[in-house]
Amino acid sequence: MSGTSTSARPEWGTLIGIGLTFFAIGVTVNVLVYEHVGSAVKTIAAAGIVLSATSELAYVAVRDVGGSVLAALIAGWVVASRFGLLAASLGTRIQVGHLQRSCAALNCLDPNVGVAMQQATPKGVITAFWWVTGALHLGWWCGTFTGVFLGNIIGDANRLGLDAVFPALLLAIIANLLRQKPGLIAALVGGGLCAALLPIAPAGTPIILSLTGAVVALKVPEPKAALS
Amino acid sequence: MTWTIIILLAVGVASLRLLGMYGGTALVRRVPMFERLGSLIPAAVVSAVIAQLTFASGKSLTIDARSAGVAVAAVLIWRRAPIIVVILAAAATTALLRL
Repeated sequence: MSGTSTSARPEWGTLIGIGLTFFAIGVTVNVLVYEHVGSAVKTIAAAGIVLSATSELAYVAVRDVGGSVLAALIAGWVVASRFGLLAASLGTRIQVGHLQRSCAALNCLDPNVGVAMQQATPKGVITAFWWVTGALHLGWWCGTFTGVFLGNIIGDANRLGLDAVFPALLLAIIANLLRQKPGLIAALVGGGLCAALLPIAPAGTPIILSLTGAVVALKVPEPKAALS
Repeated sequence: MTWTIIILLAVGVASLRLLGMYGGTALVRRVPMFERLGSLIPAAVVSAVIAQLTFASGKSLTIDARSAGVAVAAVLIWRRAPIIVVILAAAATTALLRL
């Protein structure tokens, strides 16, 4: 389902799907952020330099319920700490110079790392990473401008079911990992733990603690194909 | 959200990404067990994000139209449908259930 071809460039259908999903995310997130910020320039700047929809949402959500600026910032950072984990994972699989490595780190998101990590070679990993990054940036920027300038026409984007698009895309991206026992165990434990902790743990921490899923899955023997 | 807040948020997020890429990767390479751990992290962390995006409603868990949309997506993924079909079906199911 990761839709990879032998050239390591993901299939066009995969890239279009990722682009469309990030368009939808760009619209829904930036309508909310624009309402909170009240400035088109700041909303667009935040979309570009933070490059984390969930961090922006976490900040806005904490502020909207009366939380302090510091609490909101911490929530935004904690939510984004998963990108550090994903960057660490990606970093072990790529063989590039510091400039490209730093650029890749700053662009680490769930879909591009998810697709890249399923490639067989370091060159394939970085190639797939940048293709997906390009697709998601295209969608994200088109969605951001649409959300900021046409958000009042679109109204409630969730009415269109757009809030189901991102989890559906992520599920499609990690589908290949779920077809192997270690990946499935990591996902079930990580996802289950996150869901269980959501009502009681501070914002963002359930996702960090989902790392436990990967630790538990270490006990599952690797598939024979991966060992050879 | 002031410019200072935007910059602080951005610097924090960027630092975490760079820390992971350089510090995390170095750690993973030094400890052999961590190398396999690194390959399992995307499945665990992305699944957690999926769980949150599918079931969270503020601080509570809920099964609603969005969850149904993701469930339809899961079936289509299991049937190896193309990604575009998957995301369109998820959105359409969710939107229809909200009519």
